Amino acid sequence: MPNPISIKGRTLKLTQNVLNLNWEEVKTKITHFIRDYVEKSKAKGIVLGLSGGVDSSTAAALSAMAIGGNKVLGLMLPERETYNPKDVKHAELVAEKFGIKTEKIDITPALEALEKTIPVFDPEDKLCKGNLKARIRVLYLYYYANKLNLIVCGSSDKSETMIGYFTKWGDVAADISPLMDLYKTQVRKLAKHIGVPDVIVEKPPSPMLWPGQTAEEEIGIKYETLDLILYGLEHFMKTEEIADQLGLQKDLVEKVKRRWQIMEHKRRIPLTTKIQYRTVGFDFRLPFT
Amino acid sequence: MKQNFKVALAQISCHKGDKKANIQKIEDYVERARRQGAELVIFPELSLTGYILRDELYGLAEKIPGQSTIAVEKIARKYGTYIVFGMPELSEKAQATLYNTAVLIGPKGYIGKYRKMHLPTHSVFEEKRYFRQGYQAEAFETELGKLGLIICYDIFFPEVSRLIRLEGAQLIICISASPAVRRTFFETLTVARAIENASFLAYVNLVGIEDGLQFWGGSRLIGPNGKVIATAKYDEEDLVIGEIDYAEIRPIEAFVPTLRDLRAELFDKLKEKTEKL
Repeated sequence: MPNPISIKGRTLKLTQNVLNLNWEEVKTKITHFIRDYVEKSKAKGIVLGLSGGVDSSTAAALSAMAIGGNKVLGLMLPERETYNPKDVKHAELVAEKFGIKTEKIDITPALEALEKTIPVFDPEDKLCKGNLKARIRVLYLYYYANKLNLIVCGSSDKSETMIGYFTKWGDVAADISPLMDLYKTQVRKLAKHIGVPDVIVEKPPSPMLWPGQTAEEEIGIKYETLDLILYGLEHFMKTEEIADQLGLQKDLVEKVKRRWQIMEHKRRIPLTTKIQYRTVGFDFRLPFT
Repeated sequence: MKQNFKVALAQISCHKGDKKANIQKIEDYVERARRQGAELVIFPELSLTGYILRDELYGLAEKIPGQSTIAVEKIARKYGTYIVFGMPELSEKAQATLYNTAVLIGPKGYIGKYRKMHLPTHSVFEEKRYFRQGYQAEAFETELGKLGLIICYDIFFPEVSRLIRLEGAQLIICISASPAVRRTFFETLTVARAIENASFLAYVNLVGIEDGLQFWGGSRLIGPNGKVIATAKYDEEDLVIGEIDYAEIRPIEAFVPTLRDLRAELFDKLKEKTEKL
């Protein structure tokens, strides 16, 4: 594993090398973590959304390696507007390769019914509409989890979590998020290492909130660059240093940093104000059981 | 005093907050270790309760001696062994002042305790939030020679090991709860502390996953020449027995005479510079 302390010089050298990890070790850690959590929570298995993208495919594969594919249920939850037969095919490919059970549910009728009941619904507002899709998928996942005593496994990665590129209470909602400490480009490397098919690893990521949406176009930066900026911020580097080393405009790095900071509200439980002795989210500090 | 004996590194995972279950586990491991001839059985840091307990520490901490040390004394008497384990200690003079403590118990009962001096409060660690730091390093007289105790992060500060070595300890016992990302640090420092003090060093680390932190195990017994005498597995429970022969210290102490060459005047300088850091 790269160790910041062992890097010589005043500042880290931001090259793709810093993102290299021992992938076999990472695989072992994540599968141990998943197995341990499922055992301690006395659940019967795992349910997760299978979009056919690299994050959910990797989370599904690791879950299957941890507890056996027959205890993992992948829900494919397509809807009409963003439906792409290739994604469904990719999800099926992963399910088959890792022996995961699947169920395919078209969420279009639920989505349309919901839209009709919202007096202020605006079909032109693609962001609000897209977020609805992400949140509706959570309802399905948690229904199955409740009904079948399963753990919901999320597939959020560190890049998207840091910059808040996800739907609040949507795709990020889960009981565990085993990939949340791996940047997107690291998830890709881990995916390759554990045998997620190349066609999935190499395709451009999309949250599938509206047709043609791709993450990198929307964020305005390639993950290869974004991940190094975020790595630099993680290691307390100054924005000037990061921009200088990566040959970027300082403004761009500042923009990423601001985005990371202002999105904290999406990563924590809702803020309250302190009134009493011990307060949830402040100093009510309990371990997980 | 015995010149040679077997020591057991009891690398366990803990039932979080369940002292009864953990004492039972301590007994099971002591019994197994005894069958293999071990006269000293060492358990990890906070092995009575588990490591990550946050606010629950207040309810779990006990005075020493107290109910739990009495229970472990019974085990030590029953099997005729020395036992080292870790627990949250409640101050004798206060109601919510805690220490992260290592306890030494012998076949004849309670011997002594060491309160952790360096409490990590950085990265994932929050020990100073809960614990008061200890003020005394001590070596305890036993049938197995003088034993010195340190806890985990103390190993980054060579002066603690040095102090107990200067008190006469020939075996430094370091109980630990170290998460996996710090493995290389400990694998280096355990060897360093043994070599620079010409002493044996027994390192016993926790395993298991607590709040997403994976404790890496890898407990080890190191000789005064830095040779790794015994190692436990990474990441899983294990019981490993290693043999200590204090006679090995003499040739090493002459070959690398670190104790002879200690320079007392430097310690005044260290004090002065540390205060001005």
